[in-house]
Amino acid sequence: MESTDKSLVEAHCKGDPEAFSELVRRYGGSVLGFLTRMTASPELAEDFFQETFKRVHEKAHTLRGDNFKPWLFRIASRVAIDGFRRRRRVGIVSLDEGIDCGGRDGGKVKMAVTADSSYNPSQQAIEAERTRQVRRAIALLPTKQRATLVLAYYQQLSYSEVAMVLGCSIGTVKTQMYRALRTLAARLPDISGGEQ
Amino acid sequence: MKGHLSQRQLIEHEFKLADSGGEEIAEHLKLCRECRERAERLRRKFAALELLRGEGSLSEEQISQVVAEATRSGRKSVVRFWTQPWFYTAAAVFLIALLLVIPKGSERRHGGETAKEPQRSRGAAELPIGRKVPDRMTVLSGISGQEASGSEISTEPPFAPASAIELVVLPRRESVQLTVYNSADLTLVRERRNLTLKRGWNWLQFMWANTLIDPTSLHLKPLEHSDKIEVEQLVFPPRLTEVGRWLIRSQISGRAAFEITYFTSGLGWRAFYMGTLSQDERRMRLEGYVRVANSSGEDYENARTRLIVGTVHLLDEIAELARRKQPYGRPGRELPDGRVSGYGGYGGARWFNGAMVDLADYTSSITAGGFGMRRPKEIRKEGLSEYFLYTIEGTETIPDKWGKRLISFDVSDIEVESLYKYDEERWGGRTIRFVKFANDQEHNLGQTPIPDGAVKIYAQADGQGHLSYVGGTNVKYIPVDEEVELNLGPAREVVVEPVLTDFATENYVFDRKGNVAGWDEIRTWEIEVTNTRPLPVEVEITRGFQTAYWTVEAGAKTAYEKHDAEHIRFNEKLAPRTERKIKYKVRTFHGERRESITLNNHSKRRLNHER
Repeated sequence: MESTDKSLVEAHCKGDPEAFSELVRRYGGSVLGFLTRMTASPELAEDFFQETFKRVHEKAHTLRGDNFKPWLFRIASRVAIDGFRRRRRVGIVSLDEGIDCGGRDGGKVKMAVTADSSYNPSQQAIEAERTRQVRRAIALLPTKQRATLVLAYYQQLSYSEVAMVLGCSIGTVKTQMYRALRTLAARLPDISGGEQ
Repeated sequence: MKGHLSQRQLIEHEFKLADSGGEEIAEHLKLCRECRERAERLRRKFAALELLRGEGSLSEEQISQVVAEATRSGRKSVVRFWTQPWFYTAAAVFLIALLLVIPKGSERRHGGETAKEPQRSRGAAELPIGRKVPDRMTVLSGISGQEASGSEISTEPPFAPASAIELVVLPRRESVQLTVYNSADLTLVRERRNLTLKRGWNWLQFMWANTLIDPTSLHLKPLEHSDKIEVEQLVFPPRLTEVGRWLIRSQISGRAAFEITYFTSGLGWRAFYMGTLSQDERRMRLEGYVRVANSSGEDYENARTRLIVGTVHLLDEIAELARRKQPYGRPGRELPDGRVSGYGGYGGARWFNGAMVDLADYTSSITAGGFGMRRPKEIRKEGLSEYFLYTIEGTETIPDKWGKRLISFDVSDIEVESLYKYDEERWGGRTIRFVKFANDQEHNLGQTPIPDGAVKIYAQADGQGHLSYVGGTNVKYIPVDEEVELNLGPAREVVVEPVLTDFATENYVFDRKGNVAGWDEIRTWEIEVTNTRPLPVEVEITRGFQTAYWTVEAGAKTAYEKHDAEHIRFNEKLAPRTERKIKYKVRTFHGERRESITLNNHSKRRLNHER
């Protein structure tokens, strides 16, 4: 039977090293994805990711209740926001960063496409450009809106969970979400054209 | 619902942001085609967000890395000490102690300490006053903290601390050895320091601010307990410039001797010499000196000093490396045993063409060292491949911005030849004086090469030992068994005066049009050589003809030798206060007449000789 987050945290607090590994295994991908979308920089995201789980390791005994996931993302968003403040890099995103040509996943994608007989270089280039546009559109959002969007849309946290993560009311979350979507509606590329 | 839906309504409906009215909007969308199309366009727009959906996959390696890193950082518990009952007692004691310490501090400031004096740890205050303390090295309590003596030391190194450093100890230099490469503004420094380590991981901080140390050359090795102490890596923390930190894994707790080696710029040496000629000027005493100067930004106390003669091959300018903020670039290369080195550990090897890689432990023969020593320190000389090593006996303190002169050798009774040279093409109408000797055993020298340097020659003016300055020059590196001529400048007491006594032309050759096509010029010279000195002298007179087509007729007593195609040389030995006249006739061939000497060169010469 799969252990609950709460039991894993408790086991970790009692000194079980495997429990912590399991927590990383369970939520690491989500946290890394969240941080990658927040930072638009895989390198920075990895730094923040490391720091997030370091804090989780240290502060696990302070967790009350069984809301591990919101608590975890709260730490991750705190780390990201603090990191931005420290690095004074809020809103500054290199357009060259994160394009799927040299990243960790870029190689995999390229291999998969190459094996496909319908491999189309121009289509791939268009897709890469669109991905870049989406990443840029998200990166240009204000930090809170970006965090709300990433948590609610990509991490599929409920609005109440997002509110817990960000430490605000559900109303604020919805307002931030709406503003983020309104901005994105103007900035996101229309992908229907490329599929014709 | 009247009218069409707004974008806000459509977004709120799509993302379930509205608390109410969802059903109405859904109903409207069923009926209104335009709103449905707008909603569909909006949906397609937001579908682009799916392009980033796949991000965030995590490998097992990353998971274990994160776990290891988080585990290593340890768990910290926050103690709210102000809630503890002892806090107020401790605070009171601290305040009283502060009140007692402040007046002492202000007294000390009045005693001459400047406000700019850098703050030092307690260890620094215990060091002798009046000397600049080499405080470039501190052992830091690493964030890993002290590990219990019985527990297993973590194999993973702790995260490099970048701030909040606690100073633990300020280890002094036990000894220092300098090897100064003059030709390349390069000095190899080997320091020995006793470090107090804790069991577990230790950080050792090394700072090179305001010095010319090359950080890429830093190398640290334990001299004791090498099986229990391991220098893992050298890191250069971000934001902190001119600071490197070694990570040391120690299985023991206590003091251990370490050797730190690095290269620095700014230390140099030069040689100079003083020669004293005997009264008959046939013998000379030669004293060699070495002046070591330090502008490296660092004091070197009681340093064993070695000087290298010869040229080393440098890849980088050390001073430039020292001033660079990030001279070490990206993290280190992999060592053959699979570990990643810190920077510099093996930096020394790259500068040398093999010869200087292994600078074996220095064993100086300090037999006459110490205070009250009257005998000048010996400078020991050793050959080292194509370099030569001068080792100054004992130790020397060379503070920053100071220079120090040391005697290198003192050799008497060097047989010398005084030679006067006259060559109008080189020195005009002046006679130049030379002192000639060889760096070989016959001349009581020849044990070592003689480095470049300035030479000043004095002569004994009388039997009472008074000296007169004869002249000075710079000598280039003199290898063993090589001759050297020291140019002492113009001589006034030996005069050479050539006089043209006759000039004629003959043997004209004409071309078909009757123009002159060739001729001979005959010059008769008389050279008067006067020696007004009370000593016999040897004079070398060089005469040039500015053409290779010539013949010379000289008297039977006048010996000359062909020096090169256009020059001849007379060597005359003159007794004290005498003069001599040299007569010779030179015939030079011009125009078509040159061909006659070219075609019949051998026969012509033979003819002239017979004549």
